[in-house]
Amino acid sequence: MAIATQGTASNYLQRAPSPSGLADVVELILDKGLVIDAYVRISVIGIELITIDARIVIASVDTYLRFAEAVNRLDLTQTEAAGLAELRGDNGGGGGGGDGKAKGMMEGAKDKASDAKKGLKERVKGD
Amino acid sequence: MALQTPPTRAPRELSTALYCYGVTSADAAASQPNAGLAGVSVEPVCFRKLAALTSAAPPGRVRARRADLLRHFDVLAAAFKRGTVVPLRFGIVFDDEASLVRDFLEPRHDELAGMLRKLRDRVELRVTAHYREQAILAEIVRESPRVARLREQTQGGGSPPLLMELGELVSAELQARTARDGRAILQRLGALAEAYDLSEEQIEHQLLRASFLVERTRLKAFDEAMEELAAAQAGRIDFSYVGPLPPHSFVSLEERR
Repeated sequence: MAIATQGTASNYLQRAPSPSGLADVVELILDKGLVIDAYVRISVIGIELITIDARIVIASVDTYLRFAEAVNRLDLTQTEAAGLAELRGDNGGGGGGGDGKAKGMMEGAKDKASDAKKGLKERVKGD
Repeated sequence: MALQTPPTRAPRELSTALYCYGVTSADAAASQPNAGLAGVSVEPVCFRKLAALTSAAPPGRVRARRADLLRHFDVLAAAFKRGTVVPLRFGIVFDDEASLVRDFLEPRHDELAGMLRKLRDRVELRVTAHYREQAILAEIVRESPRVARLREQTQGGGSPPLLMELGELVSAELQARTARDGRAILQRLGALAEAYDLSEEQIEHQLLRASFLVERTRLKAFDEAMEELAAAQAGRIDFSYVGPLPPHSFVSLEERR
């Protein structure tokens, strides 16, 4: 079921010309990019390793209990309705994934970015 | 990242040190007034076919400050609009112009020129994909009878062993879906790219975080593929899609001793 390819529907996703958050920029320019080997006399100076705060997947009791709780809290009638609305292509359904599609997706992405950014800011300051 | 001790010099001495952003071809190089770290101007240092984009290094240690991180990124983005760029990692400083040429541009001339040739008319596109928690958990409940049964048994507070069993099962289902869907997206997009760089770090609900090296002429095809994926997965998977970027994730030098 995973990746169905249907007719192109625009407005689902816009390509952003540049990263929206500092976290993404940091990943590109601190983790990627050309590094010149140590043999050359270059000073890479004053940079603490900065990692982006995100919840790494760990199999633990805490994770399991969190998932159990989340699954128990689910309102299946709502998410199911949303799923069907999705298939019919209307924007109606509430709850779960039913909020207006493109908008909802953008906001979801933004939330994540700003969360990561917050964690990051603190570390940059701490440097 | 290996940290090195900066070369010692008298603290008040006027510094000739050059911060380096990246390398471009000499004929595409241009100054960028006030665009560099700490707001100083970026100037090309040319050597044969190459130009290193540089600015006077800020006094003291280069720090990973927000404004300077963004400037490093923006200088490369501006240069990328004019031509092909080999981006350097943040924080590389040479003692002076002579050492930049002697230790970098000259010994690496052919390698860098080759890289510029290969990367010509290529762009980096970054894609991340995340599950929406509510949607993917509901899907798991719907599709796994064992999860559904355990969920019913634990409604209103089940015993710890049952809750653990439920959580472990959900976690395993989620991981299987993450692997399967991530692979499918990578396959679809990878087919349109010349190369990709995949982040292996496992982050919760993240199916994919990857950069793709794509020919400019295939940008439209890539956009269409992304639109199709996003449309097909609306409400279930959220994507973020960024580019065209300079090829940060697709540059490396041969190691030398």
